[in-house]
Amino acid sequence: MSAAYTVPLFLRGQVIADDLVSFGTRSGQYQFQAPDMAKYVEQLPLKSPAELTDLYALSFDEILDVLEALGDALDFESNTHLQEAYEASLVANVLPAEMLRNSYQVLRPLFTRENVREVADSQVGLNYLNGWVPHKLLDGRELRVRAFGSRVLHIPAGNGGLVSAVTILRSVITRSDVIIKAPSNDPLTAIAIARTLADVAPDHPITRHLAVGYWKGGDLAVEEVLYQPQHVEKIVAWGGLASVKHVTRYIQPGLELIALDPKRSATIIGAEAFTDEAAMREVARRAAVDIGVANQEGCANARVIYALSGTDEAGLANANRLGEMIYEELVALPSFISTAPMYPNRDLFEHLESSRLTEDFYRVIGGEHLEGAIVVSQFDSPVDYSTMLSGRVANLVPVDSVETVTAAVNAYTQTIGIYPESLKQQLRDVLPLFGAQRLTSLGYACSVAIASPQDAVEPIRRMCKWIVDEECDPETVIPMWRLGGADTTSVAHL
Amino acid sequence: MDDPINFFGQSYTQMHSIARGELEELQRQAMKRRFGQHRESIAIVRKLANRLGVAEVNEFNDIVPLLLPHTAYKSYPAALIDKKRFDLLTKWLDNLTSYDLSRVDTEGCSGIDDWIERLDEQTPLEVITSSGTTGTLSIIPKDKHGAREGMVLWKICLFQNFGTEPTERELNPSVEVIWPNYASGKLGHLRIANMIRRGFTGGDESKFHALYPGAIDTDLMFLASKMRAAASRGELDRLVIDPALATRKDEFIAMQARQPEDLDRFFTNITEKLRGKQVFMIGTYNLMHEVARAGLDRGIKEVFAKDSAILTGGGLKGFVLPDNYMDVISEFLGVDRIQEGYGFSEQSAFHWGCTEGRYHVQPWVIPFVLDPDTSEPLPRKGKQTGRAAVYDFLLKAHWGGAISGDEVTIDWDLQCPCGQTSVAFEHAIMRYSEKQGIDDDRITCAATHEVHNEAINFMKGVDL
Repeated sequence: MSAAYTVPLFLRGQVIADDLVSFGTRSGQYQFQAPDMAKYVEQLPLKSPAELTDLYALSFDEILDVLEALGDALDFESNTHLQEAYEASLVANVLPAEMLRNSYQVLRPLFTRENVREVADSQVGLNYLNGWVPHKLLDGRELRVRAFGSRVLHIPAGNGGLVSAVTILRSVITRSDVIIKAPSNDPLTAIAIARTLADVAPDHPITRHLAVGYWKGGDLAVEEVLYQPQHVEKIVAWGGLASVKHVTRYIQPGLELIALDPKRSATIIGAEAFTDEAAMREVARRAAVDIGVANQEGCANARVIYALSGTDEAGLANANRLGEMIYEELVALPSFISTAPMYPNRDLFEHLESSRLTEDFYRVIGGEHLEGAIVVSQFDSPVDYSTMLSGRVANLVPVDSVETVTAAVNAYTQTIGIYPESLKQQLRDVLPLFGAQRLTSLGYACSVAIASPQDAVEPIRRMCKWIVDEECDPETVIPMWRLGGADTTSVAHL
Repeated sequence: MDDPINFFGQSYTQMHSIARGELEELQRQAMKRRFGQHRESIAIVRKLANRLGVAEVNEFNDIVPLLLPHTAYKSYPAALIDKKRFDLLTKWLDNLTSYDLSRVDTEGCSGIDDWIERLDEQTPLEVITSSGTTGTLSIIPKDKHGAREGMVLWKICLFQNFGTEPTERELNPSVEVIWPNYASGKLGHLRIANMIRRGFTGGDESKFHALYPGAIDTDLMFLASKMRAAASRGELDRLVIDPALATRKDEFIAMQARQPEDLDRFFTNITEKLRGKQVFMIGTYNLMHEVARAGLDRGIKEVFAKDSAILTGGGLKGFVLPDNYMDVISEFLGVDRIQEGYGFSEQSAFHWGCTEGRYHVQPWVIPFVLDPDTSEPLPRKGKQTGRAAVYDFLLKAHWGGAISGDEVTIDWDLQCPCGQTSVAFEHAIMRYSEKQGIDDDRITCAATHEVHNEAINFMKGVDL
């Protein structure tokens, strides 16, 4: 079997494609090659923390210049690195060609000056990134705080090139030294961005502080060497237990884990949706987008949809009608947004066919050609296989009261798309208690802002080291050396 | 079609000596007739046939679109059990069986065990359940007739040798039964304990030897699987446990605590009373190995008569056993042969392993090898690997068309050197679910079903 593609090692500006070893993949349909990381792992981390100083000699304007030039060069039509990454993702990813090609269009706007500045300022604060921010405390001392970057290792998700691009953006604006473990389902996007960076800013400090390579998750020969506090201070790990469990054994004082857990999302539709045909159609169109974008591979996609239609006869009729409309809108989505899944989950469709034959409890709309489907529950609970929903299959659940919709939210919940806005306001102080992390207008679940917290944490602030410089004037801040033996209470309080 | 046992003179040799062409013609006729009956009597078959526009089946492949996935037997909402809506559960089951369940009284039904008991009392059914990963139980409407018939078939397959007509001792063996499991219970295959009791010991309790004396409570097991499912969905924090059930948790723990004592008693019993006797023992590889290991550790080996019937199968079910596990089992048992069978709950009897290690398909079962992705039938010639499916026309209580989760190989042109004329599954059988997810480190941000199965394994501590 010949290798479908090679994942080179991008080592701080240098591209290495030697000492290749083969990696098989899940289906066994193809193999790819990458340099044997056991041979290069010693070269991956920064030699000495002193080498970080060059990043602090950079002005933020210069960072903006480099990122803007990078963005301009990330033009799919002319950038051969991206085209190569696209070719590789055609074999490695589950999405169809048109959608993958389209996913590269989002890279350029990500790196514009305005966007980078907005992300940096809102998610950390430009003043903290670029200097010491003073603040006077009650006891009189002068506090100055600055956000330093750190030596970070990223294990990003591979279901879309945006994740790799955001990873690089976050690292650069925090002046971090970054090592990225390329995901096997998007093997070349991070490398392509790194190589483009080397093209536009050869030997620039930003380029010299970036390494991207592939090794198999859990490879002890690599990870035992690399995942040490003298090399890496923080690990940002996307993905579930399988990827995180490899990492947790290395967590110790000096090495912190920032886990961006896998998530699921849900939808809540208020009774207002059923006021008239036009409202229902509008809601169906929005819900279809939340389900269908990128074939429901993402964490933000809608899966279980609660509708406050009621569960009496009229309510069920409304829910079934809405289910039909959502299905119509779903299959009508343009192919760069959504298509029938290329690799439908067979187990899921078996459940679907059995639900279809269980009319007392479920109404299955579509799905006979594996194109996607809407299962409308005929009572107020989701299907028992709700965790399997993927490939454009959603479950519409009619409920009687707003109290029931908290069932939509659990510890794995990320986004809740809600219609109308008034219902969102009503629910926003309650749903987070059960686990919801992001509430958004119906139809925007997959339109994710980068300048925003993610998964209920602020990953960029957490990637930083928050360093304090204190200035204490003995005339205002009571000095300990002047405290007599009589007054020990203040000392005790310290 | 309704009585193949006597059609073949109760002879395993005759069952597997009939010429292929002749058998296939009989199978086609039987398939056609059984479909005609079940189309009338089983609602789900009628619905599916109507939807697909199948009025009659003439060739084997005509029945393929009507084969049911395993999900058909768990398509009821699990909430029905939580809410004790056993009336609706009965109504759901009614769609899957040829018997009329409309008059079953479920008034005041307290749980799954109670419900199964009522079905036993009020209908010809003897349902079998098994647990799944999604927190729902499969419920397969087997009947008492099939259970009796199944035990007769087991005896035929276990004690007869292919190539010789059965002797009187083979037809009416008098054996002690070793059951390396809990003595009774209505959950899944524990039900078989009662069938074996009836079929093999003539009701003589003293001839039935279970590893543990107690019964496993289905409702408790259902709660355990529900807790695991809730944990995997991140909803354990708001699972409401039926208080009546929660108090029984202690009983279960006590039962588990007694296991070492029970194990000692079991071994004392078999060494003192059963040494050298002809026995029948059945269990999965894992259970067999566990018992054999425990026996050898106590210095007990070669316990039974050489012509004892030992039956195992069912794959390793994710357990990791040492390479020499078959040797360990053989050394402990001391028997001439250990028989293997292949089958799944949605069909009738096992397909018995031959001297060549192939599982020969029983004559009342039409086997199919399907494309694993599309479920289209692969050609019935040459060597084909794919998903196993069967149409079993022996079954009366429920539809005999079933698609398995197993990857199998059939060499359709092979005349097996063992001498049996029947078509056979090759020995290597693997579950597709075990095949997936190997050697893969794809990462996505979406919480998938696989992620949750991992979480379930991780959270075994949540077990009751």
